[in-house]
Amino acid sequence: MMKKTVFFLLIVCFVVAGILLFRPSKATVKEKAKEQTVVVYVSEDQVFSEPILKDFERETGIRVKAVYDTEEAKSTGSMNRLIAEKNNPQADVYWANEPIRAEVLRQKGVSSPYTSPNAGDIPVMFKDKDGYWTGFSARARVFVVNKKVKEKPESINAYTNPRWKGRSVITNPLFGTTTSEVAALFTMWGNEKGKAFMNALKLNGVAISTNNGESADFVAAGQYDFSLVDSDDAVNRIRQGKEIVMVYPDQGKDGIGCFIVPNATVLIKGAQHPKVAKRLIDYLLSKETERKLAFADCAQIPLHPGVKLPPELKPIGEIRVMQVNYSEVAAKMVEIQPFLKGWMGL
Amino acid sequence: MQKRVFLTLIVILLLIVGLLPVLSMVAKSLTVDGHLSFSAYEGVLASSHQWVLMGHSMVLSSIVTVLTVAVGVPLGILFGKTDFLLRRFFIFLFVIPLLIPPYISAVSWFDLLGTGGLLAPITSPRFTETVSRLLFGLPGCVLVLFSAFLSIPMVLTMVFLKSVNPRLEEAGRLVSGWRGVLKSITIPLILPGILLSAMLVFLLSFGEFGVPNFLRYDVFPVESFTQFSAFYNFKAATAAAVPLAVLTLAILAVEFWFLRDRGTGLSLAHEAAKAQPVRLGRYRTLMLMWVSLLAFLLVVLPLIVLLIQSAGFESYGEALNRAGDSLLRSLLYAAAGATVLTLLGFFTGYLIQTKAVCFWRSVDFMTIFLFALPGTVIGIGLVSLWNHQWANFIYATPLIIILGYLARYTALTSRISATYLAQIPSSMEEAAQIAGASWFRRMALIVAPLAKRSLFASWIVGYIFSLRDTGITMLVYPAGHDTLPVRIFTLMANGSPGLIAALCILMIAVTIVPAGILWMISNPVSKKEAI
Repeated sequence: MMKKTVFFLLIVCFVVAGILLFRPSKATVKEKAKEQTVVVYVSEDQVFSEPILKDFERETGIRVKAVYDTEEAKSTGSMNRLIAEKNNPQADVYWANEPIRAEVLRQKGVSSPYTSPNAGDIPVMFKDKDGYWTGFSARARVFVVNKKVKEKPESINAYTNPRWKGRSVITNPLFGTTTSEVAALFTMWGNEKGKAFMNALKLNGVAISTNNGESADFVAAGQYDFSLVDSDDAVNRIRQGKEIVMVYPDQGKDGIGCFIVPNATVLIKGAQHPKVAKRLIDYLLSKETERKLAFADCAQIPLHPGVKLPPELKPIGEIRVMQVNYSEVAAKMVEIQPFLKGWMGL
Repeated sequence: MQKRVFLTLIVILLLIVGLLPVLSMVAKSLTVDGHLSFSAYEGVLASSHQWVLMGHSMVLSSIVTVLTVAVGVPLGILFGKTDFLLRRFFIFLFVIPLLIPPYISAVSWFDLLGTGGLLAPITSPRFTETVSRLLFGLPGCVLVLFSAFLSIPMVLTMVFLKSVNPRLEEAGRLVSGWRGVLKSITIPLILPGILLSAMLVFLLSFGEFGVPNFLRYDVFPVESFTQFSAFYNFKAATAAAVPLAVLTLAILAVEFWFLRDRGTGLSLAHEAAKAQPVRLGRYRTLMLMWVSLLAFLLVVLPLIVLLIQSAGFESYGEALNRAGDSLLRSLLYAAAGATVLTLLGFFTGYLIQTKAVCFWRSVDFMTIFLFALPGTVIGIGLVSLWNHQWANFIYATPLIIILGYLARYTALTSRISATYLAQIPSSMEEAAQIAGASWFRRMALIVAPLAKRSLFASWIVGYIFSLRDTGITMLVYPAGHDTLPVRIFTLMANGSPGLIAALCILMIAVTIVPAGILWMISNPVSKKEAI
């Protein structure tokens, strides 16, 4: 009897929860309310992006439904979904954590142009000329170096320096911002020099990690001396008290500069809620959002001039930036991927 | 007639839910600009490296399978057949690693054994260095997957032991001790269960990508994953997954060869319950020590890492605050998924066991092939198939997640049901048929009640696998409908380790509590046994 009662109660609980969760909300019934919902796919880490989206909800009353990416899927789950959903898009906005993905979406016909009034003073280098994507709040590609290492690496060429043979680590160049940076180097140097650099890197015993956070953890743990990572990975761990310092590479007079990776907003072609989608894009491109992202643990560098910064960050104007065209970098990335795949032994 | 029509409808449902999305992907992979082309396959299969990766996967899966069966079956016998102390406690303990996505277990092991891990301060640098080096590679992958999947052969052994006809063992006891009876009677009788567990472990290890990727051991699924994630090339990704069909065929052939001409000595559970437990006598304490040591090394140590990291109510408060809704959704979707999986698996299992339709073997192959496929292939297939305006009532709602569970995990509930149904004498159904009962009445009033235990077991297995799923859910969940494991993964990127650990502990709790209640309902324990 007791067994049956417990079992019955369990079923009742699940049914009630089911009705509550599966029931169509009033918002989906009324067209007006429908327009008050925006669907956003997000590649930026959830811990940093979710608070911004919550603020947007609070300030505008527009409900945000988000799909976030996972570390395990190399932050490409959203991209795959956007491409697969092209003919019946579910998303209105894509918050990309780098412009290269936004470029790929443009090439695949998934995005739609939109020039936000808030994008006026963002440097031209960080936005698409036709408005298919607009950059904001950037990460810099920096070195994390273990504090115990006395002589710090200052250039990307440290990876090929025998002094650090077997002591450096880099994230798998097939994925994420590392691919973008390698593609940027190929764009700057040309294919021959780029390939020579990558081969020298391998000869110097560089270890491969699966993601930037893991690279930073390896360096903090003393497993390796240094690694090229995103500035948010570095700042995040410095704030956690880990034994690392952050170095902006190639800042000398003749240096190639530091590769900058802005976030990017993309309006999805055929979006079901275009008006609110544009409002969200305007919000993301505002100075206030950049300020919040600068002071958050991701410590992203504002692209608008005059935004207040935390002490760990340099203003974009004070960093020697690698001068590249992101559209060319995206094209180069596609071109060199077979080489990178072979380089990885795949 | 009723039977054939209904079971054919079940097969059609399976085809639509599971095979059609994959076939749509395969069809796309075979066309370029509307013309037939094998270029996607040539690119993938012509590479000699693919075969090296296939070799790696075979080695990893084989070692994990052999180890889990070699340790899991004796554990299952110990817990299911003897008067071993605290067995329910140990069963729960060994099941815990299965409840956590293996990738999280791998991270947990790294936090413990890495050069900057929790063990580093209390061991010599040389030891830490060696252990860390071993962790990154084949040994580390084996360790993580072995601890994750050990409970599969253990639980299945226990389940099958309950169905061994005690009269056969008693007859054996007249001429031999327990060791001889176990070797010559019991183990051969539960061989289908052991093989089933070996097959599941092999396929799960073979399809696992997160752990080998984290621990730097290149395996076969890497190609499919790379094509999806680095190249956004769905055609090549599908082509890279197709050799798994050959692997599935090979596994089924091996199973068929092992089980050929094998009669059943399994009986209905109520008869089996009369079996007397094996008395361990003076070995009882020794066994307890060995099992405690194993549980400490494989389960408690990584669990301690999670508990240390999640220390403090703040982490749990934040976890509930950030993922409370995902937790509730996980429970609900997993319960709904498990219920539908149990029903579908029951009828599919019946179809396979009774060979009710001539293509029963194809149905078995189809479910196991879908189980072996990478979740990404099924996920993208579901998107391609269901993402249309007319199908928004499925695609834009949690129904798409349930369809994903059905596509991926029907093999589990189907095989559990088929094996249980084999123990029910066909004469019972036949007698009711002669008395004029319709097929539906026979199923509802005779077969289902007799297979009650299999329905419970299917539900628990379906619930656990639905709850821990990330591969498919990640690709298909509608915006705002994420589940707890997906939320854990999305928060892992730069989230605080305390928060992640607290979420993992919550996930273990929400999996164990409902599954445990159902387990207790289906396995009532006598006071004597409880001691």
